[in-house]
This record gives sequence, structure tokens and C-alpha cells, in this order.
Amino acid sequence: MADLQTAPISSTWAGGRSPFNVSYGKLMMWIFLLSDAFTFSSLLIGYGAIRFSYAGSSTPWPSPDLVFNHFPFMHGVHLPLLFVSLMTFILIFSSVTMVLAVEAGQRKSNKEVAKYMLLTILGGVAFLSCQAWEWTQFINEGGRLDSNMFNFTPEAYEKAKNLKLGDHVHFTAADHIPGPVPFASLFFIVTGFHGFHVFSGVIINLVIYLNVLRGTYARRGHYEMIEKVGLYWHFVDLVWVFVFTFYYLI
Amino acid sequence: MSNDHLNTHTQQGEYIPETYIPHTVSHGTKELWRTFWLLAFVTVIDFAIYFMAPAGMPRNIVFIALGIFKAVLIVGIFMHMKFETSFLRWMIVLPAIIFLSYFVWLLMLEGDYVSISKYF
Repeated sequence: MADLQTAPISSTWAGGRSPFNVSYGKLMMWIFLLSDAFTFSSLLIGYGAIRFSYAGSSTPWPSPDLVFNHFPFMHGVHLPLLFVSLMTFILIFSSVTMVLAVEAGQRKSNKEVAKYMLLTILGGVAFLSCQAWEWTQFINEGGRLDSNMFNFTPEAYEKAKNLKLGDHVHFTAADHIPGPVPFASLFFIVTGFHGFHVFSGVIINLVIYLNVLRGTYARRGHYEMIEKVGLYWHFVDLVWVFVFTFYYLI
Repeated sequence: MSNDHLNTHTQQGEYIPETYIPHTVSHGTKELWRTFWLLAFVTVIDFAIYFMAPAGMPRNIVFIALGIFKAVLIVGIFMHMKFETSFLRWMIVLPAIIFLSYFVWLLMLEGDYVSISKYF
């Protein structure tokens, strides 16, 4: 027994130390994020399979170019990808403020942590507002969970063929024909599931921010909590990278 | 907070399972800002390719490759995976890679088959 206690611990798994060198909570956060990654990738891969299955159909998958081409206060102007790129920038920016909060926490600077947490929360709220606007546009033009008015007649496609960025475009009801229902329903499900993650991230960040203001972590002596919510928040950004790629770019 | 008392007696770096908090050091903000500008730059590249290259499989593959590059930056630097032990890194990354590549291959095949059997 005495030998056991005095022998130097050489193996990672021999006990007496954390084999992953992370806290219990952080390890569990990583495992949760792995499972959440599986959920999101299932949704996106399912989306891909359904989209593939419409190749050659008489009601083809609508071009995202003609659906998500709006920008606030620029009515009737063909601006595809611009608004979602803005949303991407907002999310990337709120990611960098989050990681700066983590870094400030490692230096135990309560004031800086509070500043960067607040910026992160504002970024999250800005992103959610953009998404609300995007959904409103989509619903107003006929996107529903169980039906989809988002396809275009061959004539309308012909009209849209030479559209350039910034051109004026106006589709009438006669240009629209019913399109694949999964196009609209998967848009709501995938971006809705992601948006709900952003929403819960904002709520969690708000709770942590209030704790920072109350000095909970300063008293505790470490800012591990910031790192854990940071992991969650960056995961939301990570998912958005793929939603952006598969929904708007491809 | 109600669970404050759990942590008050735990020193940072001292090993007590379940309440162990490793000592963390700041790696500076330079790399973080660099990553931010790199991510923004790749998004701008995405935007440029979208308007310059014709739609099709080659363009899609470029978009997916850039997406994976952005994901590596976010996980590696923002989520600090670069600084974690290799045990943790592989435990999280390997299942994701195996699951994703197998499932993507399987369901692309399935989607293709549905399309061929219905419309061709």
C-alpha cells in the first residue's frame, strides 16, 4: 500500500489526475456538443438527400438565388446572399467577443469579461432580429411548413436568367408555381432549430453576464463558466457556417 | 448562486474529481483577432465565388471545402481544441468524422436513387 502511494504516476489513466486535463463540466459540454452536432448534421444531411431526390423532377428545387434576395429598405432590388452574409458577419463578430470574454476571464479581469459578454449578447440579439425579418419575408411570400409557393414558371426563370446584383426585379403571383414542400418546411425546421439554439445561447449568456456583474466568478476565483458557455456559443456559430453553406450558397 | 459552496474550497489546479478545474493561461488576443479576420475574409471569398463562378458541382465542392476550413478555425481556435489534450481532441472529432462521412455517403446515394427511380 505504501509502495503504491509513493510510486510516481506515469500513465495518463493510472489515476490521481484528470486524464483529459479538463474539468468535469467542460468535458460534459463537449460530449453534449458532439451529440448536438449529430442532431444538426442529421437535419442537414436529410435536407441534402431530399434535395438530391428532386433532381429531374417537374417541380425542381427552387434556386435560393431568387428566394432569399431581399435586403431591408431595398424593396424590389435583386440582392441575393447579401443579407445572410451580414448575418454571418454578426455571428462571427459575436463569436470573437465571446472568445475575448474567455480570454479576459483567464486573466481574471471581471470588468472586461462583463464588457465582452454584453457585446456577445447584443450580437446574438441582432442575429435573431435579422432572422425574424428573414422569416417574415419568407412567410409573406408564401413559405409555409406544409406548403410552398416557392417555385417559378419557366418564363420567370428565363426572365431571371440574366439578373445581376442590384437589378430591379418584381415577380408577380403568376410567376410563382407550387414547389417542393420540403424546401419550405426544411427551411423553417433547420433555421428554426438553429435560431432556437441562438435564442437559448442568448438566455444562457444573459444569466452568466448577470453573474459576472454580481461578482460570482470573481469570488469563486476562476471563470470556468465563461469557457463553458463560450463552447456552446461557438458551436452555434459552427452550425451557422454549414446552414449558410447548404441553404444559401449551394 | 446556490452552488457557490461547491467551489469555494477547491483550489485551481488541485485534483479532486468532479470539482477539478485546471489552471488556464491566456494565449493572448492576437491569434483570436487574426482568426476573426480570416473567417470574415473567407466569407467574402464565398460571396465573390457565388457571383463569379457558374453554379454546379465544382463550385459546390469549393463552398463545402471553405465551410470545413471555417469549421476547423472555429473549433481549433475559438473553442480551444488546439490547446486540449490529444485524447480529448480525438474523442470528440473522430466520432463526428466517421459518422458524418458515412452518413453523407449513404444518404446522397439514397437521394440519387429516389430521383432516378422517380423521374428518369
